[in-house]
Order: sequence, then C-alpha cells, then structure tokens
Amino acid sequence: MKIFEELADEVQKGNSESVEELTKRALSQGISAEDILNNGLVAGMNIVSKKFKNNEIFIPEVLISAKSMYSGLGIIKPLLSELNVKSKGKVVIGTVKGDLHDIGKNIVAMLLQGAGFDVVDLGADVPKEKFLEFVKNEGADILAMSALLTTTMIYMKETIETLKNAGLRENVKVIIGGAPVTESYAAQIDADGYAPDAASAVDLTKRLLGET
Amino acid sequence: MESGNIPVLSVNEDTIPRAYEKAIREVWEKGASIRTEYDHPGDPPSRDATVIIIVRNPFGQPRFHRSFADGLGGLAEYVMEVVHGAHDYWVKPLEEILKGTKSKDTRWTYTYHGRLFEYRIEDKVVNQIGAMIDKLSKTGYTRRAQAITWNPKLDPPTEDPPCLQRVWGRLCDDGEGGYIYNMNTHWRSRDLFKAWFENVIALTTLMRKIAESISQRTKKRVKLGRYVDISDSLHIYGSYFREIEGDAEKGIKSFFETLESRSFEERTWNSDFIKPHFINDGVGKGLRPMLEREKDMPEKVRKAIAEELLLMEEEDYLV
Repeated sequence: MKIFEELADEVQKGNSESVEELTKRALSQGISAEDILNNGLVAGMNIVSKKFKNNEIFIPEVLISAKSMYSGLGIIKPLLSELNVKSKGKVVIGTVKGDLHDIGKNIVAMLLQGAGFDVVDLGADVPKEKFLEFVKNEGADILAMSALLTTTMIYMKETIETLKNAGLRENVKVIIGGAPVTESYAAQIDADGYAPDAASAVDLTKRLLGET
Repeated sequence: MESGNIPVLSVNEDTIPRAYEKAIREVWEKGASIRTEYDHPGDPPSRDATVIIIVRNPFGQPRFHRSFADGLGGLAEYVMEVVHGAHDYWVKPLEEILKGTKSKDTRWTYTYHGRLFEYRIEDKVVNQIGAMIDKLSKTGYTRRAQAITWNPKLDPPTEDPPCLQRVWGRLCDDGEGGYIYNMNTHWRSRDLFKAWFENVIALTTLMRKIAESISQRTKKRVKLGRYVDISDSLHIYGSYFREIEGDAEKGIKSFFETLESRSFEERTWNSDFIKPHFINDGVGKGLRPMLEREKDMPEKVRKAIAEELLLMEEEDYLV
C-alpha cells in the first residue's frame, strides 16, 4: 500500500510531523495499528538499520529517524495494547552500575524497538538489583547490558550471578556490549552473546529468540 | 615518520564542518603511525600529528557535521556540561581522585567546566574564565587572559587526564568602535574522529559566551573572530581503520566514501535545523529531558540551563 511506503520513507527522512500525520491518516482509513506498526514504522526503521549497518548514514541521523518512529508509535501504542498485539520479544536494557555512558546503549535500544521488540530502557548506572527486578517483573526475554569502562564491566558478571542466585538465569538470555567487552569476556562470565556494535546487537537478539 | 619527527599540519577553513573534514583527510594522509595507550592488541598504530586548525567563522553555516558519535540531544547536553557545568556533580571527591588508579569510585576525575570555572589550588577556588572576562574588559589587548585545566598534583596519576589544556583570548578593534574576540584552545591529545567536532561546538559556544560577557561589561559590540585549535597529538585511532561490518563508528574508510557519495549539504546541518533537537531530541536527550532526568543537578546549574532554553526559543539565536 502506498501509505506504508510513504510512512517508511518519512521515518527514514526523520520527518516526525509527516509520520504523525500519515499515522493518523492510515488509522482514519481503517488500517489496523498492527499493520501501521509492522508495514510502516518498523519497515522504515529496518531500512535505517540496514543503511547504518552499511555505513551509509551517521549516528545522529539514526536517532532522528528513531524520533520520527516514536511520534507514530505514540499514536498507535494505546490501540496496540487494546488489541493485545504481541511484540517480537521483551528486552530489558541498561548501562551497568557506576557507568554513565549511554550513547551505544541508546542506539541499541532504538534499533531493537525499530525492529519490533518491546524495550524497557533502565538508563545508565543501573545496579544489579534493578536489573533483577525488571527481568523478573517484566518477564524479559533478553537482558542487554552495556559498559564503557574496564572498571565497570565487572558488574555484568555480578548481575549474571545475581540472576543465577535468584533462579532466573534460565528464564532470560543475557547479551553484553561496550568498548572494553569482548566475545571471550562474554563466554567467561556466562553471557549468552556479545555484540560489537548496535546493528549486530539486533541480529544477535533475533538469533537468540529464534527469529532468524 | 622515518625521521622520528612528528608531522606538523595546518588546516585553515571558513566553517567547522569544512575544517573537520579537511583535518581528517590531512591527518589520515600525512600523519605519523604511532602507538597510543588506548590501542587494543592487534590494532594498527594510530595516525597522529601536531595540528593547528583555524576556523575563520566559527558560527558560519552550516555549523554542524552529521558525523559524530552521539545524537543531537546528547551534543546539546555536552555543550551544557562544558559551558554551564551540567555534570560537575559527577566528579568524585578529592580523596578518591588522589587514590589515582587505585580508586574504585567510577565517577569522573574532572570536567572542563570545573577546571575552567572552579579551579582548585591550595585552599582557593579560582574562576579563570571570569578572570579572563575581567582582564579583557579592562585591557582588551592584554596577552594574559587565559585559563588552564591541568592540575599537576591530580592529573598525572589518573588514567584519563584532561585533553584540553588551555584557553587563551584577546580582543582587537573592529575599526567601527567595537571589538573582535579571538580565541585559541590548546589540547594535549585528542581523538579527531570521535571527539574533535563535539569539543569544538562546545568551545566555540563558550567563546561566544565570553564575547557576550565582555560586550555587557564594556557596553561595546563584540563580534567573534577566528577560532584556533592547537593539538599536540591529534589522532585517528588504529581501531577505526578497520572496516568492521555493521559499525559506522569504526569505519574511517566509510567516512571517505561518504565524502564522495553525499554532497556537502547532505553531510551537514544548519543551526536552524539543530535547534529543536537541542531542546528535545525526542529520544530522551536534549535540554528539557536533561532537566527532567538529572534530579541531582545543583539548582544554580539548573537555572542556567533553563535560561539557555529561553534563549533557544528566540528565533535568531544560533546554537
């Protein structure tokens, strides 16, 4: 449908006002919120994600597209809840305790949301107890942790230990990322996966949840 | 660098984005291959040079390049950090800083604003930028208006000492009864690809604030002159050379490809476009979200940022 193409195009351009207007128009034409989400907003962000992965666009441009996607999502979200539309999975994400760096984490959160996942972003400087609480209460499928400092990456291990002690480790897949983090560190602390960059984090999430 | 001499390069451009692109090209093509403390095992050596960059018109348009490692709201918050001290409260206590690398406290050891506006020496706190404004307002041609960041007691033992070392300014007559404010900044070491652009947006905003304060004090018009940026080591880290699939941040090659595939207008933004994103980028960053999110920010700083918000709502105010 033409309106889906227009929506996806405006998301790519980062034009929030047009996305809002097109979302309203689509609803007035009787198109379901779920179709608007998947065929318009998510479709647009998937193209943005692909372009970012291919180094065709810059980081601030990804965030501007995400803003426009959110402006459409804000309109249809209440309808999605009413219809009980299931997301592709729930991700709890945050930067670990003692670490205030959040740029990488924010981009991962946006690309995951753009790929159709339900994302609960706990922000930066998140203590292990808070990760545990949200994994438990939100029924998270994925816990994604980020750290930019060698002094804070140790809290990833502590959080995984906390999940084990609470008997929740088997319920959730844990992925990690950030400048000092490596594949071998992920294996060492018993994480389920490591992503070297934001686009790979989306691929990893899809893979762990059996989507690809 | 067969001779053992670090190359000394110079860039002279009208606007910040032009200077940024030229500097990346110059350092890439003419810089020496040298290792740094931040290289990972297996990384090629960084490309490095001593570089002087002249931006003739720091608020010339387009002022913003699109290639930097943050969003526009994040950039706005960084400008507030440097100019108004938004994150001075993230600095750890002195006793923890003195522990150097043994400190387990992961908070910061300094901010530029803290060092420039509240430099601690013996039992005194010195507002160096305030002193610069005083000195320049009294004697515009003085050569003594400067502010330093380096603390020889606190900085050598830490893993991450300040990159910015010194801010220096001087006034010249504009020939029409007003002044032109010239400013130089001196940097010890700097990541050209991921830090230079954001640093310069913040420092040129500080430049304008200094000029405005001098204008208020002297009751004369103070226009902005050239901004000069001098780095002892301006580098592109070896880790950025690799074309890592899926990581736009780490591909220096892709940056050069972008210079070919997109026009200059498609690689930059004007201040007008930026302004609403600085106020609220819609994805959790910007001045408004910052004030809502950072509840522990001191009231004085909160007020300064709120005033900045009011300025941004004025049509002709350039960010």
